[in-house]
Amino acid sequence: MTSRTHDVYADWRALLDRASFIELGARARAVALLDTGTARELCGPFDRIESPWLEPQGVVPESDDGVIVVKGRLDGRPAVVIAVEQAFRGGGVGEVSGAKIAAALSLAAGDNRDGTPTAAILLLETGGVRLEEANLGLATVAEVCSALLELRPLQPVIGVIAGALGCFGGMSIAAGLCTRLIMTREGRLGLDGPQVIESEAGAAEFDASDHPLIWSIDGGTQRTGTALADTLVLDDVTAIRSAVIDAVAQGVPAEHRSQRLGELRAHLHAVDPADPPEPSGLAAAWATASPQEGDAQ
Amino acid sequence: MILTTAVTRDWTQRRTAKRERLEAVRSLTSGRVLAAGRIRDALQALLRPGDRVALEGDNQKQADFLAEALAGCDPEVVHDLHLLISSISLREHLDVFERGVARRLDFSYAGPQSTRMAQLLADGKVDVGAIHTYVELYARMFVDLTPDVALLCAEQADRDGNLYTGPATEDTPTIAEAVAFHDGVVLVQVNELVDHVTRVDIPGDWVDLVVESPRPFALEPLFTRDPRHIGQVEILMAMLALRGVYERHGVTTLNHGIGYDTAAIELILPTYGEELGLRGKICKHWTLNPHPTLIPAIESGWVESVHCFGGEPGTERYVAARPDVFFTGRDGSLRSNRVLCQLAGQYAVDMFIGSSLQIDARANSSTVTEGRLAGFGGAPNMGHDPHGRRHASAAWLSLPTGEAPALRGRKLVVQITQTFRSGGTPAFVESLDAIQVGKDAGMPIPPIMIYGDDVSHVVTEEGVAYLYKATSLSERCEALAAIAGATPVGRDMTERRVEELRRDGLVALPEDLKVDVRRADRSLLAARGIEDLVAWSGGLYDPPAGFRTW
Repeated sequence: MTSRTHDVYADWRALLDRASFIELGARARAVALLDTGTARELCGPFDRIESPWLEPQGVVPESDDGVIVVKGRLDGRPAVVIAVEQAFRGGGVGEVSGAKIAAALSLAAGDNRDGTPTAAILLLETGGVRLEEANLGLATVAEVCSALLELRPLQPVIGVIAGALGCFGGMSIAAGLCTRLIMTREGRLGLDGPQVIESEAGAAEFDASDHPLIWSIDGGTQRTGTALADTLVLDDVTAIRSAVIDAVAQGVPAEHRSQRLGELRAHLHAVDPADPPEPSGLAAAWATASPQEGDAQ
Repeated sequence: MILTTAVTRDWTQRRTAKRERLEAVRSLTSGRVLAAGRIRDALQALLRPGDRVALEGDNQKQADFLAEALAGCDPEVVHDLHLLISSISLREHLDVFERGVARRLDFSYAGPQSTRMAQLLADGKVDVGAIHTYVELYARMFVDLTPDVALLCAEQADRDGNLYTGPATEDTPTIAEAVAFHDGVVLVQVNELVDHVTRVDIPGDWVDLVVESPRPFALEPLFTRDPRHIGQVEILMAMLALRGVYERHGVTTLNHGIGYDTAAIELILPTYGEELGLRGKICKHWTLNPHPTLIPAIESGWVESVHCFGGEPGTERYVAARPDVFFTGRDGSLRSNRVLCQLAGQYAVDMFIGSSLQIDARANSSTVTEGRLAGFGGAPNMGHDPHGRRHASAAWLSLPTGEAPALRGRKLVVQITQTFRSGGTPAFVESLDAIQVGKDAGMPIPPIMIYGDDVSHVVTEEGVAYLYKATSLSERCEALAAIAGATPVGRDMTERRVEELRRDGLVALPEDLKVDVRRADRSLLAARGIEDLVAWSGGLYDPPAGFRTW
């Protein structure tokens, strides 16, 4: 997959001819993934479900609260796409938008139990919990994770981090729980965003203006190279849709990434925090790390 | 008849002083080469209190090693210097004043240090001679502000002092000439000392001393704009400018200011411009730095030539591979020259278009805002009608000026801006902040960047105002107000008056220009991100690290 992407970046004409997925807003992204003519938005802007917490803080709310839920068919099969709009409050998830995500995942789980196998696609461009909604946002991210765990044994939950914002904070935990993760090289995934690390620990620890550093750690190429994400794709509508269809078609694995604790623990042991490896050496360090004796797989 | 007796006079005082200065640093040099570790001692030996010193600080490259050394000089030894700096970009440029090493300052631009500049002025730490435009400051180096010492930077020097300045030649040859040919001392920090320079940009004859800097001089990618940040409004304004100005006047020779507004124009040439059939009819010859956003237009065959003020980091390989378009040396790399490009921009191009932060009701504009003494840079040089021009062109003649028999054309000076800046700040204001800043700083004239009577067109998202067509000041003001939206300048405009101005051709709205507002969309951009610019260049453009998002 990586090498195919690399080839695409060397084909300049093809690169310019692509239809960029990153260019699209959340609603257009959701619709672009589904089979033509099948998209139907739930709790859309005309339902006017807004966050009650923004206006008192001088922030203009939006009538979809920055999360778009669209039902439709993906390669003929029922699916729901849940897209976070990065242009609204940095994709921050609040009480209402979080409830929309959690409810959509739960309803999909219900449909599965009722005999309609429905997969979910999460389009994650989010800085995490919306600061203005603090604890309510945190609580709602927990609900999102819980609903994701309810659905993923039944049908795949596929995360897509295309860019430009990336996926950070509480929602990166949701990304970690996904059945499979698809990223572009522009996409970023991390628990704390670069600016958060810099403001907490100083520029010497992490320089948030150093783009090569940021992408060497959080970027899609690194995250797929180190198996924290599964597929690296070109920023192209057709390529991303195909990758999503493939990811759903692979079905529910016997064990999810977040359940392979031994492997994750071995990865932690393979890194000495006092002398961390270069980002470029991490994949190799992890490839040789093997779960310890007696560790649960 | 009484003949006055000629007073015996020493006609070689400057030459003698130069010899003494160089003698004073002899123990620190080997030939022309100064030891980097002794740079402070060398400056203290070289400089005399009250000296006039040109410290190279351009809008992109900085003689930062020498600036640091100067700031570190002992004010007991070196004091009351008169500094000439075109662009005050580094903190050291102002540390020199805070520490008392220098006292007097003549400059052009203080963008990054503009707040501190205003503060030092208020504290009486610096006496400002004047805020100049770029070429104006260099011109004065040949008249009444000739430096005693120049502190410059270059990429390479050989042991004979020959310099290779690389793609970012900018101001170096001009300052060197003013100093070298009037018995001043030319000291240059170089990134590397070599046996043979890549090409000779400045002959060794002009250079007295070179020092190998421990690190390459600072170089800012000032002209790089990521297309990702260009939105619908910039694209709409670009469409209006293209139809209402470029196409209408058949502009073939031009300069673009820095900013997203003009970057949007560059990026819709291969799409919207192509659709209008304008390739080969407009935008053929440019005075412009190698803007990465111009790459798609160059690659689609729009651009015949580009002469540059300076270079732009990341465009080196691309420029070297397009010598038919850019001015390049025998070594293949770009040769830029700020003064010559400014001259070309004044006398040989038909149009300047640039953004501004504030425009008043009479179209005076400024980037000086409250508490910031930013200066002008080169915009006023480009943004005026040079009365010394005598060659005609179709675009120039399309703005008839003067009275018979002295009928002539004039330069298109175009300002482009949204009616409101980010954060809801109006771009059109009743009084420029510059007026108050000028008063507070005791300046003899307010720091206006472009004078309203030089402005021929203003473009906003509302439409285009053809100010050059106005027959009176009040008509000019009305034409501007008609496109100034809900700002203090535009809000009292009546719909009926706008109709009249449209009928008289002083104002054009999108529908008058057949611009379909609904098409103002990012899909019109030939490149939508830095990675697209790389693709357009066939991999020849190497974006600076800070612009990479992968």
